[in-house]
Amino acid sequence: MKLTLPLRLVLTVALLSLAGSASAQDDDEKLKPAEPDFSLVSLPTSLRLPKFSSAFRVTHRFTGPLTGDFGDVVGNLFGLDSGAVIGLEYRFGIVKDGQVGIHRSSDNRTIEFFGQYGVMRQRPGRPIDISAAVAIEGTNNFRDSYSPSLGAILSHEVGDRAAFYVEPMWVNNSNPLPSALADHNDTFMLGIGGRVRISSTVTLVAETAPRLRGYKPGSHHGSFGIEKRAGGHLFQLNFSDSFGTTWAQLARGGTSSHDWYLGFNLSRKFF
Amino acid sequence: MRIHIPVIVAALALFTACDENLSKIAGPSPNLEPTFASIQRDIFETADSAGRVSCIGCHTSTGRNPSGGLNLNHDVAYEQLINLASRGKPSAVRVVPGDPDASYLVQKLEGAAGIAGRRMPFGGAPFLTDGQILILRRWIAIGAPRN
Ligand code: HEC
Repeated sequence: MKLTLPLRLVLTVALLSLAGSASAQDDDEKLKPAEPDFSLVSLPTSLRLPKFSSAFRVTHRFTGPLTGDFGDVVGNLFGLDSGAVIGLEYRFGIVKDGQVGIHRSSDNRTIEFFGQYGVMRQRPGRPIDISAAVAIEGTNNFRDSYSPSLGAILSHEVGDRAAFYVEPMWVNNSNPLPSALADHNDTFMLGIGGRVRISSTVTLVAETAPRLRGYKPGSHHGSFGIEKRAGGHLFQLNFSDSFGTTWAQLARGGTSSHDWYLGFNLSRKFF
Repeated sequence: MRIHIPVIVAALALFTACDENLSKIAGPSPNLEPTFASIQRDIFETADSAGRVSCIGCHTSTGRNPSGGLNLNHDVAYEQLINLASRGKPSAVRVVPGDPDASYLVQKLEGAAGIAGRRMPFGGAPFLTDGQILILRRWIAIGAPRN
């Protein structure tokens, strides 16, 4: 297999994680107001999960589009009358800075196993936090089409007000067809997103994941939302142009009709 | 130095390139590939396990006039298709390299609107499966090479 430049970058970050470098003083159980959760809307954040702690999340995307005649949209209760793509996710801290998890999406009955390792923390004089992320997902309950992915999560927090993310990600076998029938079997994409706190418990969140190279049908994924934290719970109302919640789903993008859909995320930290 | 699980997983993910099986899509003609040799062998010249008849039963110059003026005999099939106008619908071209939608061969096999005559095979179902047509389309999309 040929190592492309993005792949090499990603590999470098992954190898960097060989030399874990977190100090004992990091208190990962303490709330970080600008990074209250492990996800933006569908993209991950760099939030560390304390060892042996866990977190649970439900993602819900209504499949009825919000566009069209306003009367129809209201009549459909903003898409709620149509079906939904539902994801259930559980993650667990296995080592300090390292977490693994499983995400099950009703879209093609996809199961995704993922791991994330915090390589470098943001500190005074070091403005960036880096994590390595890997995942492998399979459709039809992990029996049919497998797509491994590999990437990095770079983030920068602005005090306890805001956090911004850049996430280069390479997804193999993003195309559901055999490669003999397709021009590309991989996708290289760049997740970009952020969160801004507008009150002590309310935040605005937005993200996009343009596909830069490889297989990129339909429209690029984009999403924005507003969320409210209540203790260890986070309630997020979001608007997206795709139903994707896993890496390969994001690589496949949204519909080419440029429709937008209502959705929500609920997450709960167990620590 | 400790080697963490994510790194091992990352390395595994890197070296297991995944792909789908072509034969799953090819269905009743499991060896079908997007090459001219394979399309000749698995579609034009043989029936398949779904009961679809071969094309050369009618599209041959051996002992008859080829149906629709299309001769799919092994040595002439390529010239009979590429950039050649249809007999039944002279404004259409049998195979337009690079453009499956515009290729009359595809339209006749899909039973597209606007074709002259019937959907192929002439005697009716079973027709080619969606997967078989997808593979044929791919051969045309990549330029319909004589391979
Ligand atoms: C039972 C005989 C028969 C079989 C089998 C058959 N065809 Fe035909 N085909 C015809 C006849 C008759 C015509 C002309 C009338 C029409 O177009 O409906 C024709 C026309 C065509 C044409 C249009 C030719 C032109 O220039 O207008 C194409 C393309 C074609 N067939 C492809 C195929 C392919 C590919 C197969 C195999 C999957 C096939 N046919 C199987 C009888 C047959």
